[in-house]
Amino acid sequence: MMRFVKALAVIAALFILFIACKGPVESTQLLINADDCTGCGECMEVCPYNAIEIIDGDAVIDPSLCHFCYRCVEECPEGAIY
Amino acid sequence: MKTSILIFLFLLPALAMAVSVDGWMDIQTGGDSLSPGMGRLDAGGLLKGGNWSLVVHQRFSHEDSTGIVPRILNTYSRTDVDFSIEAGPVSINPDVCWTVDIGDKKPEIVLPGQAGVAYREGFIRPGLFLEVDITENYRLFARGLYWNRDLKQEDGYDLAWTESHINGGLSCETQGLTLTMSGLYHKTSSDFIDYESTWNRFDIALSTKPQSLPANFYVTGDVMYSFYGGTNYLGDDLADRFTSRIRFARMIVPSLAVNTTFESVIDYDGVIRSACTSLESRLVYRFMRSRDITSSVVVFGKLSRSSIRTERAGIFSRVNLFKGLSILLEAEARVTPTSVAGAEPDRKRYVFGPGLEYQFGTTARIWGMVEQERTNLETNQNWWRIRAGLEFYPGTFNF
Repeated sequence: MMRFVKALAVIAALFILFIACKGPVESTQLLINADDCTGCGECMEVCPYNAIEIIDGDAVIDPSLCHFCYRCVEECPEGAIY
Repeated sequence: MKTSILIFLFLLPALAMAVSVDGWMDIQTGGDSLSPGMGRLDAGGLLKGGNWSLVVHQRFSHEDSTGIVPRILNTYSRTDVDFSIEAGPVSINPDVCWTVDIGDKKPEIVLPGQAGVAYREGFIRPGLFLEVDITENYRLFARGLYWNRDLKQEDGYDLAWTESHINGGLSCETQGLTLTMSGLYHKTSSDFIDYESTWNRFDIALSTKPQSLPANFYVTGDVMYSFYGGTNYLGDDLADRFTSRIRFARMIVPSLAVNTTFESVIDYDGVIRSACTSLESRLVYRFMRSRDITSSVVVFGKLSRSSIRTERAGIFSRVNLFKGLSILLEAEARVTPTSVAGAEPDRKRYVFGPGLEYQFGTTARIWGMVEQERTNLETNQNWWRIRAGLEFYPGTFNF
């Protein structure tokens, strides 16, 4: 059983690497790295679409309101949005 | 009278319990050609009893821009009041948060559906978080949040803008593996402009922390598949998303540690495509560890590729000179997209600056830095910036 799980994990890792190496095409949503986000709220203040809120100490982007203006990416002091 | 006596009898044991009080304060101020009068004050307090706690956090923030970069043009106050109580395996955490925009110029919000612009004046958001430890390995959680936003059009009409956010799920942990299944529902509506939008997400996440690794070696792996429902601002369906992340941390020698994270995101909306790849690494070197203040050098680098390109690399060092006095030095280079009209799509920034810091044990810390920033906007521009701060933590008082 463990051998099967390990083999599955290796296949999944190779698949992810293959897709990643093909190069990013386009992202349908911005990503917030919760490990890097300090919840300072600067992205929320600078967003002109009211699309960001701090929930439980991390920024959360509303994908239905985000217009990809990238002001939050430019503003984030930790570089946690990409 | 009987009711008062009963209330008193119920409250008496709670009041008789030992309570502790914590408080903290963090003031940051500065000035540069972007924000001549930026400043931020954070102050908070924690009242803690046997199985309950009350946290109050207050922030005043003021930032003013000269218009080189569209930055925060706002002065606001934000208050968080957070109460939590534990009763056996159940944790209940109601909280309320509100902001008031107190500047002369209110921040402008672009409304969806080409409904023009409105001006933000604040919001109030009550919330409730519940957590139940069913057994040692199983945990149930649920959260509900509701925003009532004060958004007004130029003629003073309130947009009646509200948002509801509900999420909850179950997680189970066994032998270094954690499986979490959770759902999220978010609704935004404004009666005045006849706008309503909902989106939802269902996540299945698995994270692992291998237990049998060499000494001082730490690895975590996370994968998550998110099924999305709803549309983006253009009306297109939101794509499902598969996120995977692996992190290595290693203490090479007691004074040297390295931490590296690789992340890959794949979107699926009928077509499988790479949405984002990022790599981040951080190296921390600590020296003069026998002193009260340990000196350190942190070297970090990060790059990501998605629809946009972001890169960040830098160094931050703190070298202790005498008692609590240390000299600081930072240097950072960044590449991000920019919204500045007329600038290149990729904005390059270089920041360099020395500073001084004095730490009064664990009670207080005062610091100041002088930075120079160079960035390529319409033309290459340089400016100076002075930043200073005071952090104050008097410690815990028990009663």
